[in-house]
Amino acid sequence: MISAYFIHLLILVGIYAILAVALQLAMGFTGLLNLGHIAFYCVGAYISALLALAGWPFWFCFLSAGIGAMLFGFLLAIPTNKLKGDYLALATLGFSFVIYAVALNWTGLTRGPLGLPGIPKPSLFGFVFSNNLSFLILTFIIALTSYFIIKQIASSPFGKVLEAIRDNELAVRVLGKNTFKMKSYALGISAFFAGIAGSLYAHYITFIDPSSFTLLQLIPVIAIVIIGGLASLRGTVIAAVVLVLLPEPLRFIGFPSSIVGPARQMIYALLLILILIYKPKGFYGKIELE
Amino acid sequence: MFSQLFVNSLIAGAIYGLVASGFSLIYSTCKFVHFAHGATIAFSAYFFYFLFSFLGLNFWVSAILAVVFASWLGWLMNKVVYKKLRKRKAGNVILLIAGFALLIFFEALILMLFGADVKTIGYIKIAKGLEFLGAIITPLQIVIVAVSFVLLVALFLFMKKTKTGKAMRAVAGNKDAAEIVGISAEKIYSRSFIIGSAIAGIAAILVGLEQNLQPMMGTNLMIKGFTAAIIGGIGSVPGAILGSFLLGFAENYGIWFLPSGYKDAIAFVILFIFLLFRPYGILGIRKNFQK
Repeated sequence: MISAYFIHLLILVGIYAILAVALQLAMGFTGLLNLGHIAFYCVGAYISALLALAGWPFWFCFLSAGIGAMLFGFLLAIPTNKLKGDYLALATLGFSFVIYAVALNWTGLTRGPLGLPGIPKPSLFGFVFSNNLSFLILTFIIALTSYFIIKQIASSPFGKVLEAIRDNELAVRVLGKNTFKMKSYALGISAFFAGIAGSLYAHYITFIDPSSFTLLQLIPVIAIVIIGGLASLRGTVIAAVVLVLLPEPLRFIGFPSSIVGPARQMIYALLLILILIYKPKGFYGKIELE
Repeated sequence: MFSQLFVNSLIAGAIYGLVASGFSLIYSTCKFVHFAHGATIAFSAYFFYFLFSFLGLNFWVSAILAVVFASWLGWLMNKVVYKKLRKRKAGNVILLIAGFALLIFFEALILMLFGADVKTIGYIKIAKGLEFLGAIITPLQIVIVAVSFVLLVALFLFMKKTKTGKAMRAVAGNKDAAEIVGISAEKIYSRSFIIGSAIAGIAAILVGLEQNLQPMMGTNLMIKGFTAAIIGGIGSVPGAILGSFLLGFAENYGIWFLPSGYKDAIAFVILFIFLLFRPYGILGIRKNFQK
């Protein structure tokens, strides 16, 4: 029983790690404080779920989720291109609320608050990932691949330009780089990985509704990114493992889930505040915000 | 229909105005987005519910205690979190994230203490509406509009006439110059949190009486508040009030074109349009918005 639960937690670690590593690319490397990250996750989950329910194979749903979310990333990059700091945070937050409102109200497509039940478990080459252990392996492979792709991107010349944009956008523009294009690529790639994380989540839980994509779900991701340390992928992964597992003892002490759920958010929020006050670079971070 | 929507817009605008003016007051002096302003509102509304509906205290006693509680909460957040961050010279983005974390913290706390179900205060039992030019308005709604009008005028006079109000505007205008003439910026920050949060406390009671309480109400109100503040010109209290009424009207008349579920989305579309074309708002001064 406990080991089955442990596998469940590890799957969540994997999904959160993908989400956080993706956000790290936008926030840590490019310096875009994107509070709309959860919207990409939402878009990915819904695209994947709707396609799967329409009978499309998993790999197609999975990739469509990523690409669909990426398109939204490009879309978001257009109006937010010139914004920085507070304004960027508010605009991206607004974006996540628009997506949430659409998911809740476009009942013809998303069934609104009723959610989408019966999303099939993923299957590849005739093999169905029906039990959690096989799903864990799938998640692990996808998380690892995402990690290495983002690591490659971050250490490529393109990644260096992104870091330069974060540190001094004007200087990069003076060097003749099209920073708008670079930033929209960064946001698009970040959204792509958030989208595939959403797809994994949808196929794992097999049920999604808009309540899975609110601000409450954003706080663990932001906490992981900042506590792990901005622009540190290793820190992000370590923080994902620690933060997902950290509130779990509460459950084993015997608190009911109506307490454990909010307590988990409170722990994340509190840790985030403490880190911001006492260790602003996080544990492995190279830079501070701004 | 038209006049009913007009009345609804007015009520929405009055409520947003209270949220946005408190938020804008804090923003204008402290220069960062105090996200947890929404948490102040939600927590004070629940506190009021706890005192009045749960403990059965007198209405006015509960109301006064709730407003005091709101002030205290705002003051506390400033002292415990924001002040420490400012001391280590954290940028306003860090303060924003800290505020966001505070908002989530308090919402989760409300969820833990009161549960996820919707709460009603139920002070006014008979909500018999008055007919007014074909629109129905309840006495409570008249009170809401009147209270918010009086408060907003009082706030305006306070900022213009009193010494503290002038000091606040001085800090908002130029913090360093204000400190040179002997105004303690930290003290002013603290006071703007106290006053802004007290207004939030009043907003909390009015919202609590007019609508139901739910743990996430703070986020929603907060977003309306800052959308209104941005429309009007962030950091300008009269601007925030103007923006609130514009937002109230846009949302309510928007229902003519869209299903009512999209009411919230309308606010963000407006927010986006303003951020794109006029990020400094209607009454705002064009400076620093890209910094």
